[in-house]
Amino acid sequence: MMAQTYDAIIIGAGHNGLVAAGYLAKAGRKVLVLERREEVGGALANVELAPGFTAPAVYHTVGRLRKSVVDDLGLIRHGLRLIDPPVRVFAPQPDGDALTLWADVQRTAAELKPRSSHDAAAYPEFERQVRSLSSFIAYLNVVTPPDIKDLSLADALAGLKLGKAFKDLGRKASREVTRILPMAVADYVAEAFETEAVRGAVASRAVQFTATGPWSAGSASVLLNDSAGNEGGAAGQSTFARGGPAALADALALAARAFGAEVRTGAEVVHVASYDGRATGVALASGEELSARAIVSNADPKRLLTTLVDPVALGPRLVWQAGNIRTPGRVSKVNLALTGLPQFAGSDGGERLRGRIVIAPSIDYLEHAFDASKYGRISEEPYMEATIPSLLDPTLAPEGQHVMSIVVQWTPYRLREGDWDAERDALGDLVVKTMEQHAPGLGDLVTARQVITPLDLERDYGLSQGHPLHAEPGLDSFFAWRPLLGHG
Amino acid sequence: MAQRYDAVIIGGGHNGLTSAAYLARAGRSVLVLEKRHVLGGAAVTEEVFPGFRFSMFSYVVSLLRPEIIRDLELPKHGLEILPLDGTITPLDDDYLWRVNDHGKTVRELRRWSKNDAEAYEEYGQLMVDMARFIKPILGMVPPDAGKVNPFEWLPVIGLAKQFQQLPTRLQQTFIQLMTMSATEFLRQWFETDPLIATMSASGIIGTFQGVQSPGTAYVLLHHYMGEIDGAFRAWGIPKGGTGGISNAIGSAARELGAEIRTEAPVARIDVRGGRAVGVTLESGEEIQAGVVLSSVDSNLTFLKLVEKGNLDEEFLDEVRRYKYRGSSGKVNLALDRLPELACKPGVGDHLRGAISFSPGVDYMERAYDDAKYGRFSRRPYIDCIFPTLVDPAMAPPGKHIMSCFVQYAPYHLEDGKVWDDEMRTAFGENVIDTLEERFPNIRDVIIHKQFLTPLDMEEMVGLTEGNIFQGELSLEQLFFNRPVPAWARYRTPLKDLWMCGSATHPGGGIMAANGRLAALEVLKSQRAGKRKAVA
Repeated sequence: MMAQTYDAIIIGAGHNGLVAAGYLAKAGRKVLVLERREEVGGALANVELAPGFTAPAVYHTVGRLRKSVVDDLGLIRHGLRLIDPPVRVFAPQPDGDALTLWADVQRTAAELKPRSSHDAAAYPEFERQVRSLSSFIAYLNVVTPPDIKDLSLADALAGLKLGKAFKDLGRKASREVTRILPMAVADYVAEAFETEAVRGAVASRAVQFTATGPWSAGSASVLLNDSAGNEGGAAGQSTFARGGPAALADALALAARAFGAEVRTGAEVVHVASYDGRATGVALASGEELSARAIVSNADPKRLLTTLVDPVALGPRLVWQAGNIRTPGRVSKVNLALTGLPQFAGSDGGERLRGRIVIAPSIDYLEHAFDASKYGRISEEPYMEATIPSLLDPTLAPEGQHVMSIVVQWTPYRLREGDWDAERDALGDLVVKTMEQHAPGLGDLVTARQVITPLDLERDYGLSQGHPLHAEPGLDSFFAWRPLLGHG
Repeated sequence: MAQRYDAVIIGGGHNGLTSAAYLARAGRSVLVLEKRHVLGGAAVTEEVFPGFRFSMFSYVVSLLRPEIIRDLELPKHGLEILPLDGTITPLDDDYLWRVNDHGKTVRELRRWSKNDAEAYEEYGQLMVDMARFIKPILGMVPPDAGKVNPFEWLPVIGLAKQFQQLPTRLQQTFIQLMTMSATEFLRQWFETDPLIATMSASGIIGTFQGVQSPGTAYVLLHHYMGEIDGAFRAWGIPKGGTGGISNAIGSAARELGAEIRTEAPVARIDVRGGRAVGVTLESGEEIQAGVVLSSVDSNLTFLKLVEKGNLDEEFLDEVRRYKYRGSSGKVNLALDRLPELACKPGVGDHLRGAISFSPGVDYMERAYDDAKYGRFSRRPYIDCIFPTLVDPAMAPPGKHIMSCFVQYAPYHLEDGKVWDDEMRTAFGENVIDTLEERFPNIRDVIIHKQFLTPLDMEEMVGLTEGNIFQGELSLEQLFFNRPVPAWARYRTPLKDLWMCGSATHPGGGIMAANGRLAALEVLKSQRAGKRKAVA
C-alpha cells in the first residue's frame, strides 16, 4: 500500500505540537498530528480525581500562553475561556500571617507596607524592571534562534533587530540585562527587598520545575523568562482556563482541525525514518508507515534523539550530546478532593486563595528544600505551589466542595533510597501535613487524593525523567543552544 | 611642599607593582604606596615563625602572564617557578593519584574506570583547545555593554568571528563552560566520583559557589589557562613563596625607576574639581599625582578612600551591591617532619604535588551547604601542599611547612556569630581534625600553626570580606561588569583615578594582567590627550 504523504507530521499533540499544527495548517500545509495517548494536550491534561472532581494533571495555570497565539488561532472562538483573578500569590508565613501579591501593583505595595515600608516602596520599581527586562526576553522567545554555524541573511537581519531591541532597552537597562540574567535569584530579590517573606514569594517562581535552588546562578533568568510575553510582572501570572488545562488543549485541537489539520490519538510513533540525512516519515506502533516532507517533534528532544531516530543517521556525537541533555525532573503533583474550602489564616474567607498559594516563606526555606534533592531525598519541608481552581470554576467540583492542585518541589526522579511506587503515599502524607501547618484541619477535608510522581510523569506523559519543561531551563540550555547548539 | 609624581599607585600587591613597572618603563615618575611592612599584598611571603617562611595567603601560581614575565625580565629579578607534580585525593582505603605524566595518570584512572581513562585524553585536549580560544579575553579591555562604541567592541567582534569559525563541538563546549556547573560539565565525560569531585574543586576555589552551582565550569577553564614555560595546565610554586613573584616585579619596577614605599598607608584620595589629584597618607603627608591608580578593591577605593561627595549615588549603589562574600581560609603549619597518609604510607612523590581533600561530590556539596547557612564546613575541602619538598629553603634544615587552603569559611556567620579568636581556633582545629582523618600522625609533627580567617584577610591585606579575588568571580561580575557595570575599562567616574587590581577584568589569581592592562590604558589615554592638545 502506498503510504500517505503530508507536508508535515507532528509527533505529539502537546500544546506546542498543536500550536505548530495550527500555524502550519493555517498557512495551507497538509498537517498530521500523531499522539500516543488517547487524548490530546500532553501535560495539559485533566484527571478525574473522584466522581465530580476534576483536577489538573500537571500545570494548573496557563498564563504563559502568548496573547498572539490566542488571537492568531482564534482560541476564544474555539471555546477557550481564560480567568484572571485579581490575586496572584497568597504566601502563608510561619508566624501565622500571610502575604498577598495582587495583580494590581499599588494594592500589593499597600499590602507590603505594614511589613516593610522599604519593600512597599521597592515593589513598583521591581515590577517595572521585571517588565522591562522580560519584554526583551520575550523578544528572544518569539524569534527563531539563529544557526550560529551558518548565519543566513535572515539570521543576520534578525541579529540586527536583536541589537536594536537591546539598544531600545536603554543604556542602563541593557547593562542590567547582562548583569541580571546570570544572577542567582536570591541575590536579585535581595537587592530589591529586605523581608524574607517577599523574597521567598517572588523568588519561588524562578526555581519552579527546575533542578536548581534560589542560590544557583542563572535562576534570575528563569524568573524573567516566566514573565516574558505575558502579564506576569513581578508576581507572575495566575491565569486559569475554564474547564481546566485540558480545555486549552481542546481549543488548540479544535483550532488546528478548523484550519484543516488532522489529529490522530492512540497513534504511537516508534521510529523516525530518514534517507540521506533527511527525515522522510514515521512508523507507528501499529506498523503503519507515513511519509512527510517535514517531521516536527513535540516529544522531548532527549527522547526524540535517543530513542526515536536511528542512531546511525544522527552520528555518535549527536547521540552522545542528546544523551547528555539534562532532564533532571524534580516535580511531583498532589491533587486533593476536599469537602470544603481549606481555612488559611488571613485568606479573607477564601478571597485571597483564588491565585497561587505559595509555600516558600524565605530564601533559606527554598534552599533547604532544594538541598535535600541534591542527595536524592525529599525535604521534610518542601516548597509547594497550590491552586484551588474550583473557586474560580465551580464546574470542577460538586457544589460547596473543592479541588486543590499542589505542585511539589523538589522531589527527585532518582531517589537514593526507596523507589517512587513505594514512596508515593509518603509524599502525599508529607504534602498534606506541611500544608496543614498553614491550613489547620485540611487533612479532615480530604476525600480523595492523587499523587503523580516524576516517574508517573515519565510513564504517562512521556517526559524524560518527568521533566515538565523537557530540559533544564538553565543558561546552558537557552535560545540558540536549546536543546543543542546548531539544533535550536 | 608636597611631592609630585606622574602616577601614584595605592597598594603594593603584584598588580600595583606591575602597573608601576609598566608606567615607569614608559618614562613616568611613579610612587607605590604599601600599607604593610612587606610588599606583595596577598602574594606575600613572611617568616611567621623563626626559620619558617609561609606564603601566607595565595600559595600557587599558574596564571602569571608570560608577556609580563618577558617584558619585565622577571627571571633576571629572581623569579623562578618550581613545578608541582600532580594531585592525590586520599580516600578511606584507597587514593586517586594523577600526575603530569599522562600515561601514568591514564593507567591509574583505568584502575577506576576504563571509560574515564579513555575520556581523560579527549577531555584534556578539548580544554586545551578551549583555553587557546578563550585566552585572548585575558588580554582584552572589556567594552561598555550599555554603549555601542565600535572601537570598544572591535576585539569582542573579532573573538565572536573566531567563535563562529570554531567547530560546533568547541562552540557547544564554550557555552557549557560559561553556564554549567563544574560537576555537570565533567559528568559528560567521567563517572568516577572522586575524580569528578577533585577536578571540580578548581571550579569553586575562592568563590561562594558549590561544585554543582551553575557557572562554576567557567572557573575550571580559568584554571586551565595557566602557563608555565609555555606548558598549559602546570601549576607551580614560586621559589621563595608567592612573595617571590611580588619581590621580582618590585625589583623590576625599581630598576625601571619606580619608587616604592612600605608602611605608607593611604588615608584618602584627594579630589579637586572632579579630578583625582593625589593622596593623603595616614601620617598626614600629602602627595600630588598626575594620575592615581588603585590596586585595592572597589569597596575600599570608592567607599573608603575617595572623599565623600565626589561620586554620584547611583554609581555608589552599584559599588555597594558588588558581591565579595569571602569563602575561604588558610591554615599554615610548621612541621617537624612530613606526616604520612593512612591510605598511602611513606613520604614518596605523592606528597610533592597537591593533596586534595575532595573524596566525592556529596562531600564537596555538603561543605558548601554549611557555608550557605553561615557556618564553616564541618568537613571542608582542603588543598594542601608541602612547599619545602620543592623549595627546602622555606624551613630550617630537615623541617617542613604545610600550606592548607580551606573552603568553606564564610565571612558572614550565622545569627550574630563573629570571627573572634575563639571562632578562629575552632575553625583551625576543625581543619586539623579533618587532616588527621587522612594524616593520622599530623598532630605529632606540628610545631607551629597559623590560622587565617576571611576577616583576617580583610584586616591584614584589605581584601573586602576576605574575598581572595577582590570580588566574587560569578558570571554577572565578570568582563564588562567588573569591577562595576559600565566601568570595566580601568577608568572610574573620577577623572585621573584608575583601577588596576584583581577587582578589574580579568579577575583574581596571580595573573598581573590587570596591572598591565590598566597601565597600558592609562598610557593610551594620555597619548590621546596629548594628540588632542596638539591639534
